[in-house]
Parts: sequence; C-alpha cells; structure tokens
Amino acid sequence: MLPELLQGTDAGGFLIIQDSVNYSGRHLLWSFINAALNREEAVHVLGFEVSEEELKDGLKGSHIQRLHFHDAYTDPLGWTDQPAFTVHQFCLEKLTHLIKQTSQHKPATLVIDSLSWILRHRCPPDVCKTLQQLKKGGAVRVIIGLLHADMHQRGIVGSVCHLASSVITVAPGMKGDEAVAKTTKRSKSGKVMQEEAIFCIKEDLTVVVQSKPSHLGSRQTDPEEQETDPTANLTFNLRLSDTERKAKEKLALPFVFSKEKKSALLHSGPGSGRILYEPDANDDYDQEDPDDDLDV
Amino acid sequence: MFTELNSILNTSPDSFTQGEFILVSDRQSDASFLIHHFLSFYLRARCKVCFVGLVQSYSHYSAVSQRLGVSLAQAKEKGQLIFLEGLKESLSILNPQEADTGSQAMDFLRDPAVGLRSLYEFVRSGLSSSDGGEDEWGPPVLLVDDLSVLLSLGVSVGAALDFSHYCRATVCSQKQGNVVMLARCDGEEDEEDDGDDEGEGSERLLKGLSHQCSLALQVRGLPTGYCRDIHGQVEVCWRRRQADGQHTQKKLFQYKVHDKGASFFARGTSSAVL
Repeated sequence: MLPELLQGTDAGGFLIIQDSVNYSGRHLLWSFINAALNREEAVHVLGFEVSEEELKDGLKGSHIQRLHFHDAYTDPLGWTDQPAFTVHQFCLEKLTHLIKQTSQHKPATLVIDSLSWILRHRCPPDVCKTLQQLKKGGAVRVIIGLLHADMHQRGIVGSVCHLASSVITVAPGMKGDEAVAKTTKRSKSGKVMQEEAIFCIKEDLTVVVQSKPSHLGSRQTDPEEQETDPTANLTFNLRLSDTERKAKEKLALPFVFSKEKKSALLHSGPGSGRILYEPDANDDYDQEDPDDDLDV
Repeated sequence: MFTELNSILNTSPDSFTQGEFILVSDRQSDASFLIHHFLSFYLRARCKVCFVGLVQSYSHYSAVSQRLGVSLAQAKEKGQLIFLEGLKESLSILNPQEADTGSQAMDFLRDPAVGLRSLYEFVRSGLSSSDGGEDEWGPPVLLVDDLSVLLSLGVSVGAALDFSHYCRATVCSQKQGNVVMLARCDGEEDEEDDGDDEGEGSERLLKGLSHQCSLALQVRGLPTGYCRDIHGQVEVCWRRRQADGQHTQKKLFQYKVHDKGASFFARGTSSAVL
C-alpha cells in the first residue's frame, strides 16, 4: 500500500506520518515531497522543525523550483521583529493566501513539518478544524503531515488521525536501515485497509518496500486451525462399542483380590517348598537392624 | 576533552561538524562529565562559547576545566567564553537586596509563565559578538547544563522546548554553530507513560529534545548494577543522515570516568573483565 500512497493520493486526501523518538519519519516525509515534485506538482512546505537549507539539502537532485518553503522555523512564536510565519497564523485564510500567492491556479500539496509543533501551541480542536477546512477548501489538493505521536496524549493523536484518510506509523526495523511501516487507509466508501511492510529509503529518497512481515498472514489463518477437530485422526479409539464394553467388564484386573486368588495364596498346595532357618552361634543377628549385614 | 570520545564521534577540535544539535541525556546516572568534555572541546576549537550553567557554580566548572587543561578564567577574559552562572543570577532575583545587576536572562523566575524569551535573548546577544571580535573566534557554541533544571524552576516543558528550538534555529541554522544540551531523567526507560502523565515532565522534555537533535548521547547506568570498573554505558545515536547514506545509526559503549578524562570501550571489553 505504501508505494501506491507515494504515487499519489486522491484529491482531498490527508496523510499523516506518525513517528516516535526511536525512528524519525522525516525521511519518509521527504520521500513523499520528492515523489510529489517528480509528478510536477507544486509543493508547499510549512516547516516548523527543519530549516529551508536542511530541507533543500535533503532533497538534493529533486526539482526544487516547484518547492515553496514557508519559514516557520526561524521564528515560530514571533520573538524577533519580522516573523515569516508564526504558529498563530495557522488558519485557513492565511494558509490559502500563502498558497495562492506563490502557486499557479492548480491545487497544491501542503506538507506540514510537523503537526506536533502546532499541537503544542494551539488547542487541538482549533488545529483539527483548520485541517478539516483545508481539506475541503480547494486550494490544497493533498495535506501531508508529520506527527510525533509520543509527544502528545493518546486522545489528541487519535482525534487528529481520525481526520486523516491515511495514517502511516513508522517504527525501527530489525536491522540497519530497515523500518516498519503500518499503513491504515480509509477509502471514501468507508472501507478500511491495513497493511504492514518493511521498507528502506535509498539515498535518492526512493522508498523500497522489501517484504511484508509474515506474522500478519499467520494471524489470519489462526481461526481456521482452531476449527479443525483435534480428535479426527487419532491412532486409538476414544469410544467403546457394546461388545467391547462387555469384554472389558469381564476382564479381571491383576490387582483385584478375588476369592480364588485369596484361597490359592493361603492354602499352598501339597509338595510346595518352604524355607526353614535356624540361626547358629556365628550368626550375628541384630534385632534392631536386621539388614545390618547387607552392603547397601 | 576526551580523545577517545572524539574518535568515536569522528571529530576533533580542528575539524568538527557545524550546525549540530547534540543532546546529552542521562537516566539514573550522571552525564555531566560529557558537558565538561564539550566545554573544553569547543574552547580548544577556538569557538565562541556561551555556557548556561544552571546546576553548578562557576568555580566548579572552572576547577574541572583546569583538570582537563583549559582555563575558563582566561577564556572569559579574552571574550571567548560567556558564562551565565544560574545559581548566582537566580539568587539575585529571588532575594533582591542589591540594586538590579542588569541581567535579564533569568527573568523567567519572576513569572515562569512568560517563557524563556529573555534567556534566549541573552544567548543570542552573547553569541552575536557585537564588539567586533567576529574574526577572532570560530562558530558560536551554546552549552546548557542542564535544561531539565528549568522544569524545577517552574518553567513548562513547552517553554523549555521553545527555548531549545529558538537556540537551534539561531545557533545551528543561522550561525552554523553547535548546541549541546543536557537533560536529565529519573524514571525507568521502559515505563509506559503515553504522555498522559502530566507529572513526567522530564520524560516529555527528553522526547521533545530527541526529536530536535541531530546527535544524541544517552548515558545510563549499567543494567546489571553498580560496578567499580565500569561506570555506565553511553549510547551514541546519529539521527541525521550521514555522508554514507545511513540515517539512524546507533552505537553502544561502556565508559569509566577517570580523574582527568574518561575511557570508552565496547561492551564487555573492560580491562577488569579481560
């Protein structure tokens, strides 16, 4: 699903890349920017966390003439005299104005790096409202946002992600450059698709999906296995037929003390042997420990 | 300055990466030896250094630096070092007996709600070298020991993160200098707090800083407990894409702090073991 999302989202789409301190989702975000630039789309980056130089350095080799950077990095709170974009300007009017100013009449892709910065300074309902308005507004075709999920309460992350049409959660992979992406995609019909994939990002920001982890598939087959009858292919019988039961009841068990057995033991027949023992003087018989002479 | 650490980080006072935000963190351990390392490192590299010392007195840092072969007094005299002694400054604000000494840097103590803008202004003006000494010193460097102390002084996590963001934007991006910040955390690492716990401010601060930094040095105690010959372990984590194309790269070392330096070695290769 990841490659399809990279190839382009439907108009009105809202994609969130969720990351944590263990693995930064920024490179994946850059891959999305790179892919959009390669499709000759205008990309507007609202950068709170990365400077313009660093972003352009990271996107080396892409068509950055269609990239418009709105600098919210140098002065996001208006502490100096000429702030370019402050976090308090994050509203529909200002953003539409910014995008219309620079881009052609074609709707553009808006990249927000990151939503966490905005959520830290604005109340979540405001942010959600603005995002929803942007989605519907028309000036923006697609919104792609980075969200540091571990910085916020779970409820806030949840409500922002509910707005999104696709959520990609990235986590570190088992080795080296690999990372795991959990993708949840909601199509307009309301169908929700989930997929997990291992990917790595090449130096030119292309994403290579290596494989799908196998444990997802095995989880699906689990219920089928439980339905099968464990007594189906046994090498022995679990139930008895009537004749078998009668035969079983007839059989005398070896340690049941029957009358015949008792008499056979008590009255030994004629001619049977018997042990007579008379201790002589040399016999050292210890009353208290009769087994004293045994070499145990 | 620990030469072993320099070789691990692949830097030296003569050539170091500019524009880096280095986060030094410790968890149930003490990482201040790394702050002393970076202080002496950047002074040797002839950088203009601004040191925000909130934990110890000037004489403490001076004495440790002396052992590491750097004189803070000389650096201060030459104008290379700007030292904010947080303990002294805060005392003059909390107990205003003398006439106002003029420094606005610790103004947040009067009203923590206003944020750390005044402290940032202090850093910015300190590093902008107005007295024409720009050619004399190399790129500016900001060292903070330590940022989590601000939380105990009533500053919110958000304000502390804003401060670090502005420092990073100004020092790292604009002036191509470096920032080193220490943050402490007392809790266990695997504690599942999900950000719901408002009391765990230091944890949130550490997470926020980890998202900002380009290089993280995480100091931990040994998981197996106290050891006389190994004082703990350091995880070095490069978060920015390296020249060889790798992004998140991690290395783990054990260390022992000596009287005049520290030795770093791979896990299990301490001289006490081998």
